[in-house]
Amino acid sequence: MMIKQFLFVLVILVGAPVVGGLLFGIDRRITARMQGRYGPPIIQPFYDFFKLLGKEHIAVSRLQFVWIYGYLVFMIASLIFLVMKSDFLLLVFLLGFAGVCLVLGGFSTKSPYAHFGANRELMQILAYEPVLLLLAIAIYAQNGSFLISEIFKQDKPLLFTLWPLFLAVLYVLTIKMRKSPFDISTCHHGHQEIVKGVTTEYSGPYLALFHLAEWYEIILLLGIISLFWTNPLWVGILIALAAFLLELFIDNITARMTVGWMVRLSWSVGLILGIINIAYIYYTKGVS
Amino acid sequence: MADQMMAIAILLPVAAGFLVLAVRNYYVRNVIVIATAVVLIANSILLSLRGPFTYTPGGFDWGLLITVLDYAILIFYLYVGISLRNWLVLIFALTQILPLAYFEFVMKAHIEVAPAFVVDHLSLVMTMVISIIGSLICIFALRYMYDHEHHAHIEKSRQSRFLFWLVLFLGAMNGLVFANNLVWLYFFWEVTTLCSFQLISHDRTKEAIHNAARAVWMNSTGGTAFILAIIYLYATQGGSSALSMQSIIGGGIQSSIAVLPIALLCYTGFTKAAQMPFQSWLLGAMVAPTPVSALLHSSTMVKAGVYLVLRLAPVYAGTYLSTVIAIAGAFTFFATSALAVSQSTGKRVLAYSTIANLGLIIACAGINTPLSIAAAILLIIFHAISKGLLFLCAGTIEHQIWSRDIEDMEGLAAKAPLTTLITAVGILSMFLPPFGMLLGKWIALEAAYIVPLAAVFFVLASTLTIVFWTKWLGRLLQVLPKIERPFEKLSLSYSVPLWTLLTGIFVVGIGIGPIYQNFLRAATNDVVSGNQIIAVGLNNLILTTPSFMQRDILGLFPVWPLYLILIVALLMPLLLIRVKPKELRPVYMCGEQTGAIDTDEWLAEADRKTKFQLGGYYYQGTLGEKRINPWANAIAILLLVIMLGCGVIVL
Amino acid sequence: MRTMGLIQTSRVKSPWILHFDNSSCNGCDIEILACLTPLYDVERFGMVNMGNPKHADILLITGPVNRRTARVLKNLYGQVPDPKVVVCVGTCASTGGVFHNCYNVLGGVDKVIPVDVYVPGCSVRPEAIIDGVVMALQKLAKL
Repeated sequence: MMIKQFLFVLVILVGAPVVGGLLFGIDRRITARMQGRYGPPIIQPFYDFFKLLGKEHIAVSRLQFVWIYGYLVFMIASLIFLVMKSDFLLLVFLLGFAGVCLVLGGFSTKSPYAHFGANRELMQILAYEPVLLLLAIAIYAQNGSFLISEIFKQDKPLLFTLWPLFLAVLYVLTIKMRKSPFDISTCHHGHQEIVKGVTTEYSGPYLALFHLAEWYEIILLLGIISLFWTNPLWVGILIALAAFLLELFIDNITARMTVGWMVRLSWSVGLILGIINIAYIYYTKGVS
Repeated sequence: MADQMMAIAILLPVAAGFLVLAVRNYYVRNVIVIATAVVLIANSILLSLRGPFTYTPGGFDWGLLITVLDYAILIFYLYVGISLRNWLVLIFALTQILPLAYFEFVMKAHIEVAPAFVVDHLSLVMTMVISIIGSLICIFALRYMYDHEHHAHIEKSRQSRFLFWLVLFLGAMNGLVFANNLVWLYFFWEVTTLCSFQLISHDRTKEAIHNAARAVWMNSTGGTAFILAIIYLYATQGGSSALSMQSIIGGGIQSSIAVLPIALLCYTGFTKAAQMPFQSWLLGAMVAPTPVSALLHSSTMVKAGVYLVLRLAPVYAGTYLSTVIAIAGAFTFFATSALAVSQSTGKRVLAYSTIANLGLIIACAGINTPLSIAAAILLIIFHAISKGLLFLCAGTIEHQIWSRDIEDMEGLAAKAPLTTLITAVGILSMFLPPFGMLLGKWIALEAAYIVPLAAVFFVLASTLTIVFWTKWLGRLLQVLPKIERPFEKLSLSYSVPLWTLLTGIFVVGIGIGPIYQNFLRAATNDVVSGNQIIAVGLNNLILTTPSFMQRDILGLFPVWPLYLILIVALLMPLLLIRVKPKELRPVYMCGEQTGAIDTDEWLAEADRKTKFQLGGYYYQGTLGEKRINPWANAIAILLLVIMLGCGVIVL
Repeated sequence: MRTMGLIQTSRVKSPWILHFDNSSCNGCDIEILACLTPLYDVERFGMVNMGNPKHADILLITGPVNRRTARVLKNLYGQVPDPKVVVCVGTCASTGGVFHNCYNVLGGVDKVIPVDVYVPGCSVRPEAIIDGVVMALQKLAKL
């Protein structure tokens, strides 16, 4: 039983970045097609990754590497928590620690672009973290427990009662995937408003670690979305992939907006949806 | 044996204080304080090992002494009010003296409450926090005040007076957490207010005295409420059990205890804990030297306020008062966390964060389930350690860069790497897993659904805490590219408390399972019976649901695996990664830097050399005090009115 | 050997570009940006215009070097981690072009940093730029 679980976690740990990288490759391909181009091959992220591994080690400060390792390890830890069906609230806090490590990595050098990027990343955390915490509380209100394993034991999918929060989580997904209109702190591929924001001073192997952490993150986020329909799980995964494609679509039809607008929008829309959801469950189910 | 231990806990600091006041020699004073500290710590550990007991001191009419000293303190406040022309101090001293005199002479209340002191597990937890952390802060104060006076070129040393009040305060706090007689509790309460006044005004600047007076009148409104509660209880109940905390708690609302005195006592706790709308006295108290802020205004004195609210929790359980207390605490947690984002002075950030966490603890008391009470106790302990450490770090930083402004702390990792490391661990321990503060917050969130509005405030406030802590830590870390940064030397008086508290964070954090099982569970049961936390060795903390839920397990917190992840994520890279000089590159500034890799000079227009400057973001427009205070104070006052109204209308 | 093959292949398949303009008339810059448009679409070769030297493999440099930009160019070149290749785009970047006699112009880019590929033209056609980058990639593969 323990060995089986351990092997399962190992498979996920090795397989998640592969699937995550492919998803990013599909992302670039579909975006290119939407823009009337051909786009790179689907395994392009892996070419990027290995090329970065082969670059020279350069450094701006020693601490920036500590934080990028922190980001990667805590992201992996969050994924392990999801896979082992542990406490969802703790998962959100671990994810928060990963985000904080990334921000501190941006802060760990006296670089203007990294400074802006780090502050904007912090504002992004301010925008999406309440929704995830409210999701944790709503899961508890619905199921009576914070454990993810309890979600799997339910007959009715979470989507039926938590659909307002599902909409709010789509906002979170847009922010976390760094898609327009919320690609504010650091963007993929070529947006230069703040150079590369948080990742400006990273290069070579450590930038590769950042990309690796992003691959884990996308699998984690899609995993959280698929929790909305766990019986059967493949429906949840389909919903997650549909959300992913929706994000690509939104990315291509919107432009980047300001930080203040992002925080105001997610606090008003996201919080109101979350609060209405929880209030509804509280008044229909009571505290039981 | 009980005689000696109680005497050591309460009277030894008083005696040591007077001794320190008399001695002028720096080194002899240090020896006295360190010796007192060691004895106090040992005594508190021995008390905890002994277990709960009750005690009434004999041989002397302590009640008479306390009454006399009560009036002395209040008359002193009258004098302060008159001499400073501060009418609020004067008025609220009068509103205490007159009812007290009425209680004494008209109601002829000469009561012997037996037992006078009740030491149960909650008191033991509090006394360990007070003795250990308080003593460490006193040791820190030794060198700190020496440097403080040298830097300010003060000729006539007033360190003796400072240390007198600081050490005396420890005795008063110990008395407070042991007291069973409400009148004696009131006395110790007033002594802590007096110590606070003396210590805040220590520097004798106009601002310091003004802020100290504000602390006095705000706490005096609490003292007034305290006396009114005493009078009401004695008038309605009568007899010696009316003023015994244990009988009040034992009775509960179901018996004939009315809600009004409880609401008044909770109001007293709110003022002491600087909850909204009383937060301005704590903010003003930050002008005092750092040991004062560390001891009184984060670790210990303000904990007296939450201690009182927590003690009374079983009395108001199940009433509307409980819900209002939960919402008021949660609202303070939210509003002060928002305010902390806009502060650019380190100590003000710490002050707002303290008030926020006290609000969280009070909200947990208001939620009033075994789980939330356990969370409150855990938060008291972990907050005292982490916040005490952070205030000491702020003091150490202040004595290295001679500034309290966060903007001046930029790049501290280059100037003072050791202090930055300790501060970084302190800051991370306030809001991140696996540390104890997050454990407490996690339990609080898992327990909070009973009062959903409180849960929503918790969520918003948690997010805001991430913002201001990370922002501050980031400013400390911003350095230019350089290889060699040797650790700086810190005096023993600074480094021993810092390292001890840092070790304490890890030891208590990792060992929380056994500590809860053997010690804190009993403390929780002193407040509310029932246990919802199962500690599985060092491994898991399992939260179980209350009996009316169908599920078995509410949540799960694997303690040592999370610490292992922390070590792998941060500690190992910190120790193992080395940067060679040839790998160093300049930061990206569009290539405009002049010369060396670690320069921050660049060529602006017409090749003019300029330094590039970074500024922190403080969002004064949206989260500044001017924006938030008006409506936040209004809502807080409304909640207070509702709280006291719950008492009057007997809901 | 096999791992080296993997990294070498990846280097060729994922060239990230830093585009720097010394003091050109912007003609070559416009042609470089045209490469990124759907008509030429160099992203299908994995080329992405990173605005950050620390993320770049290929420097595309336009314009003749003058005293100010010489300093900036050296700074940026130093920030690009190995292995890197430098491509001069346009006649001005290669030799100074029509500006080579000006009092403030030092000449082509090779006066300041080592250059791997010269792409002459005024202004350079996008196809020629792509050719030049491919040539640079072949050099990168051997590094």
